[in-house]
Amino acid sequence: MADFLRRQRQIVLTLLLLSPGFAGFLGLFFYPMMVTVVRSLRPEGQELGWTLANYAEFLGKPGTRQVILLTFALAISSTLLSVVLSVPLTLVLREKLWGHRFFRLTILIPITVPGLVGALGLLVFYGSRGWINLFITQILHLPKLDINYTVPGLILFYLWHYFPYTALTTLATLEGLDRSIEEAASVAGANGWQVLRHIVLPLIAPGILAGSVLTFMAAFGSFSIPLVTGGNYRPLSVAIYTQIASFTPARWSMGSAMSVVMAILQVTFLSIYMRVLRRPIA
Amino acid sequence: MNLLRQYVQSILNARKLLIVTFLLCFGLFIYAPFTIMLLRSVGKDWFGRAWVPPTLTLDWYKWAWEIGRVPQITKNTLIVAVLAVVMSTLIAIPTGWAFGRRGVPGKEVLLSVILLPRMIPPIAYALGVARIFYRLHLIDTHIGVALAHTAICAPYAILVLSSTFEGLDERVLEAASVCGANAARTFFHVILPMVLPGILSSIIFTFTNSYNELTLTLLTYGVRTETLPVRTFLAVGEGYLEVSSAMAVILVIPSLFVLFMIQRQVAPEKLVGGFKGV
Repeated sequence: MADFLRRQRQIVLTLLLLSPGFAGFLGLFFYPMMVTVVRSLRPEGQELGWTLANYAEFLGKPGTRQVILLTFALAISSTLLSVVLSVPLTLVLREKLWGHRFFRLTILIPITVPGLVGALGLLVFYGSRGWINLFITQILHLPKLDINYTVPGLILFYLWHYFPYTALTTLATLEGLDRSIEEAASVAGANGWQVLRHIVLPLIAPGILAGSVLTFMAAFGSFSIPLVTGGNYRPLSVAIYTQIASFTPARWSMGSAMSVVMAILQVTFLSIYMRVLRRPIA
Repeated sequence: MNLLRQYVQSILNARKLLIVTFLLCFGLFIYAPFTIMLLRSVGKDWFGRAWVPPTLTLDWYKWAWEIGRVPQITKNTLIVAVLAVVMSTLIAIPTGWAFGRRGVPGKEVLLSVILLPRMIPPIAYALGVARIFYRLHLIDTHIGVALAHTAICAPYAILVLSSTFEGLDERVLEAASVCGANAARTFFHVILPMVLPGILSSIIFTFTNSYNELTLTLLTYGVRTETLPVRTFLAVGEGYLEVSSAMAVILVIPSLFVLFMIQRQVAPEKLVGGFKGV
């Protein structure tokens, strides 16, 4: 009996200890999310009544498809590029050459500084008076290149901001690799390229995939970078904010409906990605 | 034979050159935007085809300081960040302890539920947060903005602390009690020194997250609670590139400081953390 009571007390204590975390979760995430969902089902500007008109309007609008396509295009292409950048970078850093610590720190820069600062710096650097354009016009004597406020420019900025997730995870996986496997392969007569292609890459593929999920999530939800550097290209997050900031009265129901669509898209894509990721790599 | 050696040497050199060029380009890719922004913030009469500004000035910083109300805004930012750190840490310590040490059934699932706010794009629930805060009159108060930041910061703090507490060695605690230490003594002399680094790193991450946060701030701030990121965003919108560069430089200094501080203590891959365990 006493034992039973003690067990009960322990369980209650555990629940008490867990409660602040779940109170925070419910109050600051779940409840706001529910408010968003309910708002998206109300007619615009009214507190009563239920309707699907907001969804119908958003999904029926001609611009919607472009917005969603743009969001996915930006996220997917910057994720792919982050893999392309991370693999050679981490392969080089693994050799622990002179100055590798400095470059390890460099990888951390884009995720530690405020996104806004990075965005501003990139705008200045790639702008019409920035160094890239000076290099193109004065040294290469080519016509000026417009990078800011274009889709390729945005992809480049996304890459700058979000590649660290891929790079750091890949680096960690690569450094956990047993070097003797590669040595065995080269002893068996494989050249450097074959070792890389058939031994190293398959072994670090799970790490690359895991990192690229993080990059994708950050890029898909990215808000401050497209807000500052997007110009006329507005991915979902910015389009939602526009509903609140540039309409008077603010279109809360419309914005909420778009938020719900965005959350569903993200969760769906992530679960597909996770399923692919769990599958053994051939 | 000699020829062969020369040939191999030249290939090795070419490889080395390639690596150096690659790293150089990478460094340029990351740092050049900061450099040119720094120059922009101290440059005067920098028009047209000059690579560096012809004259240097601190006028833009003066502008930022006076017109941009930087002292007031920095105070706001720090108050909000400190409040967010305090709230997140107070939430995370008991919950992290329960997750780390008390054998919660279904821990993986519960932890990923707690981490949901970091998976869903913040803008998706920011609208709900804003509407609730309007109703509760929390818009444009420091505590309100800090609460909104806590939604993002607390999950990560819980994750860091639960793994810190999990790492506590049971045998050391037993040894303490065998040696006759009571609960209070064990806590202050054994547990606290062991978990302090973890708590510290959670505080640093929370602080940086809150300091950089823009999405939730934009939907909950007001005139009295403008933070540095918001102010910089508004300055960019107003089109004064020089003044906003100056502000951005002010904004970036603490994060660089934090970066150099943490890289000695925390393994870089842990920094990805915010999303880990997803």
